[in-house]
Amino acid sequence: MDFDYSDDQHLLMTAFESLLERFRAPPPGQHGYVAYSGELQAELAASGFLEITGQPGFGLLEAAMMTEAAAHCPVSVELAASAMLGAALGLAAPVAVAWGVGRPVRFLPVARTVVVIEDGRVTAGTPCADIARPVTGVAAYPIAVLSALPHDARQLSGTEAATVRRRALIGVAAEAAGLMRGAVGHTVQYVRERRQFGQPLGNFQAIQHRLAEDAQLVRACRWLAFRAAYADDAKEAAVALLYAQEAMRKVINDCHQFSGAMGLTLEFPLHLWTYRLKVLQGEAGGRGAQAGSVADQLWPLADAA
Amino acid sequence: MEFGWTPQENAVRIKAREFLAANLPADWQATAALSPGSQAVTDFSREICPKLHEAGLLLSHWPEEYGGVNASAWEHFIIGEQLWEVGEPRGPQYYNVNWIGPTILEYGTAGQKNYHLGRIREGNVIWCQGFSEPSGGSDLAGIRTRAVRDGDRYVVNGSKIWTSYARLAEFCILVARTGEGKRGVSVFLLPMNRPGITVRPIASVVGDGDLHEVFFDDVEVLAGERLGPEDAGWEVIRYSLNFERVGIPRYALALKTLDRAVMQLQAASAFGPVARQAAADAYASCEGARMMAYEAVDQRSKSRPGSGIASMARYAIVLAERKVADFVLDWAPHLFSSDADPMVATHHKRAIAAGLAAGAAEIQLNIVARDMLGLGVARGL
Repeated sequence: MDFDYSDDQHLLMTAFESLLERFRAPPPGQHGYVAYSGELQAELAASGFLEITGQPGFGLLEAAMMTEAAAHCPVSVELAASAMLGAALGLAAPVAVAWGVGRPVRFLPVARTVVVIEDGRVTAGTPCADIARPVTGVAAYPIAVLSALPHDARQLSGTEAATVRRRALIGVAAEAAGLMRGAVGHTVQYVRERRQFGQPLGNFQAIQHRLAEDAQLVRACRWLAFRAAYADDAKEAAVALLYAQEAMRKVINDCHQFSGAMGLTLEFPLHLWTYRLKVLQGEAGGRGAQAGSVADQLWPLADAA
Repeated sequence: MEFGWTPQENAVRIKAREFLAANLPADWQATAALSPGSQAVTDFSREICPKLHEAGLLLSHWPEEYGGVNASAWEHFIIGEQLWEVGEPRGPQYYNVNWIGPTILEYGTAGQKNYHLGRIREGNVIWCQGFSEPSGGSDLAGIRTRAVRDGDRYVVNGSKIWTSYARLAEFCILVARTGEGKRGVSVFLLPMNRPGITVRPIASVVGDGDLHEVFFDDVEVLAGERLGPEDAGWEVIRYSLNFERVGIPRYALALKTLDRAVMQLQAASAFGPVARQAAADAYASCEGARMMAYEAVDQRSKSRPGSGIASMARYAIVLAERKVADFVLDWAPHLFSSDADPMVATHHKRAIAAGLAAGAAEIQLNIVARDMLGLGVARGL
């Protein structure tokens, strides 16, 4: 076990971080609700990073690292599903993952493939305007409601479907880890600068302890997501996402609490991370579904055993 | 970055499991429930630690000249997981190999190393830790026990409290004031049979032998028994606490306890959907704590200080332990209120003390805020 980058990982991540460099600072002025960068999406597609799992010496872990790093940026980009399951199954990027028909789906308005995960089957097809109704709201992802399966939807094989189910969870967990790191990092910076009672807010223990707890949660999320990616394992995937979906409830609220009313404005970039996290909180059925899955895998029900 | 085990690490885990299967008596779980400081567990530790050493499982991470084989910090931690998972048969001697020995290795003179590390290696010496006092536990700088220099010796007066294992201990790693302020403390390796030491057990809910008061009345300690330079105790303490905070893989017993509680519920057809969610949640917390602990071990294996990471890990472990203890109280109260499964009692006793031992959980958060988040200290309120 080694928690540091290998030399190859270091080179990879240095190159990847330099691609992200221009997208790291929140754009000045007011931010719209949706923080999606078509420019970054195009650069990703051209860069070859989305095919990382097929590169010799690299695999799912490196895709998770890149997912986490990209999510740390204040703009969203579809990377997790493309790199983790799209490349392996030959699906055109960007890939949107839908947990059922009739639901809002992240990245559906910009996706070239939609993978639909339902009880008993997983299908993949090409989305079009007829079945993707864009929605507006406060969520920071481009979102559309998937009204039907694509006309060219094909059912994936059992092995492919298992890969999708497992890796979709790992992708969300890694993305959540990066988003939480971004939100907590921004909040820590804010409480260092914002002064009340003649000193930085961050001097106060009431705030310190909660942020220290948040920092611990973020770190554990990151390691659990990376370990799940390293193992490419269904139980660890569910554990990682369960931990992340549990943690984000506290992290989102603490970050907004400590940012005060500034955190409610569109000028203050916090929402670019937290309003993506709020979408992820219920992704894949939310923490209840993840907990059920963890329990089923650890302690099978009598009739299933 | 990778999260696998080497063949060598897997072999060590299997070896530790096989050793325990062959060497733990059938009634061990009932003994373990008596807690590490009890006479029974202490006696048993004197039996099993020499055997652990013989099998290369006691202090393999130590340098060869002191009886180890320079094994990695990982291997020692893997052995610790296996031992803690069955209720820690090393009893109070886990102190010795986890952090007292390593601290002596770092700061001891050649004479101290030969004398103490040799005894620890034999597997039949018991140590206690004289840190907390009535006037200063979390605030170690507030300690009042004083060691007054008199030529080549010191005279110690004062008292310690909450001292685990003190009644049966042969040595105490003692912090006493030798100067003024936070920095004016020194660490001593004090034999407990010195005239002037009085030990009083404190009855507690964490088990017999785990909490004591220790009084020092004109106790003589030799200058040669001081560990590290005079007034440099703070550095020694910090070094030792980094080991202590993540010395115990507490989630290992918590996970085992959770599993046993679930099996009981399944057998009684009482493991419904809500209980399944709660169990999964506790499991995920333990796994998060495990990864934090592994990061701390990774830091240790690379000889990095890693104080903030150890504190984060400790905090995660404390919360995970409580989740499992609460799961039992919520869903399997019959295990708490009876002697049906001694492991549940063992776990409960360990879990309720975890947020206090090795620095209160809030102290860990202070360290994280300061060292990892760069936050300051409030003034003038």
